[in-house]
Amino acid sequence: MNFDFDLIINSIPLLILGAGVTLQITLLSVGFGMFIGMFMGMARLSKIWAVKMVATVYVDFIRGTPLLVQIFLMYFALPVVTGQRIDPFVAAVTACSINSGAYIAEIFRGGIQSIDKGQMEAGRSLGMSWPQTMRYIILPQAFKRIIPPLGNEFIAMLKDSSLVSVIGFEELTRRGQLIIARTYGSFEIWMTVAFLYLIMTLTISRLVDYLERRYKIDDKH
Amino acid sequence: MISIKNLHKKFGNLHVLRGVDLKVEEREVVVIIGPSGSGKSTILRCINYLEEPSEGEIIVDGITLNKQESVINKVRAEVGMVFQRFNLFPHMTVLENIELAPVKVRKMSAKEAETVALDLLDKVGLADKAHAYPEQLSGGQQQRVAIARALAMRPRVMLFDEPTSALDPEMVKEVLDVMKTLVKDGMTMVVVTHEMGFAREVGSRVIFIDEGRIIEEGTPNEVFYNAKEERTKTFLSKIL
Ligand SMILES: Nc1ncnc2c1ncn2[C@@H]1O[C@H](COP(=O)(O)OP(=O)(O)O)[C@@H](O)[C@H]1O
Ligand SMILES: [Mg+2]
Repeated sequence: MNFDFDLIINSIPLLILGAGVTLQITLLSVGFGMFIGMFMGMARLSKIWAVKMVATVYVDFIRGTPLLVQIFLMYFALPVVTGQRIDPFVAAVTACSINSGAYIAEIFRGGIQSIDKGQMEAGRSLGMSWPQTMRYIILPQAFKRIIPPLGNEFIAMLKDSSLVSVIGFEELTRRGQLIIARTYGSFEIWMTVAFLYLIMTLTISRLVDYLERRYKIDDKH
Repeated sequence: MISIKNLHKKFGNLHVLRGVDLKVEEREVVVIIGPSGSGKSTILRCINYLEEPSEGEIIVDGITLNKQESVINKVRAEVGMVFQRFNLFPHMTVLENIELAPVKVRKMSAKEAETVALDLLDKVGLADKAHAYPEQLSGGQQQRVAIARALAMRPRVMLFDEPTSALDPEMVKEVLDVMKTLVKDGMTMVVVTHEMGFAREVGSRVIFIDEGRIIEEGTPNEVFYNAKEERTKTFLSKIL
């Protein structure tokens, strides 16, 4: 086999741009996902039956179906209903956000449940409302505890975002495919693509470790 | 100040409170004693609706409690509660613990809340701990902060649920001393405790409860030394 090193050098700028897009879509999806997940996580713990039910159905549906199918639903099936074509970027970010939201909902639910019940009671006994107690007492404590699983979710999303290549959205994996279609350098390009994913995931996991340690040293504050 | 009529509380099939009637007048200090599991905490928790009564009527400071959030929050703002396990907010300093509710509920300005908080810390003897975090304090100090936190809302009534039973013996006194200063200030208090010395010294009334019913009530001397009911005597013989 011929290893074409020049091909790697020449493709790297394009691939790095693709990696940037991957990072961007991951950041956006996990960002929206955290917003969705925070509320859905709280909804899962609601005493109001309907609220809890909506959240449970959402979480079960998303976690019980493949992300790839969710992307197809968003990109191909939804336009059939609405009659509107949907931009690949919008479809990708929406599908990934909704997907991430379900996993993050479970992370928030676990984090909130891990906080001593006495904290909610102390807040409520002082006359604070449920949302106030959540906002100022429970969530700040829960948030510190869920940094590691949130980091894992971020890494998982970063890898899974490669699936949006199927709707032609040009993130890292799709860029790799396109370069290979032109150059036939399958081995070189896929190795480079894998390497770029690896650099990103390792960096993020170090960053999460650091954050976690910093909060441990500072302890609970 | 507090009027409880025919209070029942069930947890599923477990009938924990079986018709409790209790009146607490202004400036009274009512001490509740009774075996573990008899429903003492549940009574306190019904008074500020941390538990929803299954039946009965509770009136606090003229407000009849019901399910409505606004009513519940209003009553809670008037009723301070101190827990066995302190339940301070670990991610906040002592000062922040005390200021939070006055700012969020009473809409006090930050400046005003700080003045109130520092004042109360002084009162409970912890002025130098304002910027410490709860974990840096001993149990007795944490409980005194918890008392200050409740007082910052300027409550009309204070509920204490075994405030000293999670403490090492040498810290019990410092907490009871703070509670006694509240009595001197004329605070209305309902205290679940087995500290007989405290009950005798400042209690206006002692209530013995067993299996969700008030079995006996009277002045501390009546209940402790002249109990009429056999169950009260048996219980007292175990703890005195
Ligand atoms: N949230 C709850 N769910 C189910 N059972 C409870 C709950 N809270 C208290 N109980 C039960 O009610 C009874 C009375 O509890 P409690 O009022 O805490 O007793 P005490 O404070 O006198 O020790 C106990 O048997 C306890 O197990
Ligand atoms: Mg109890």
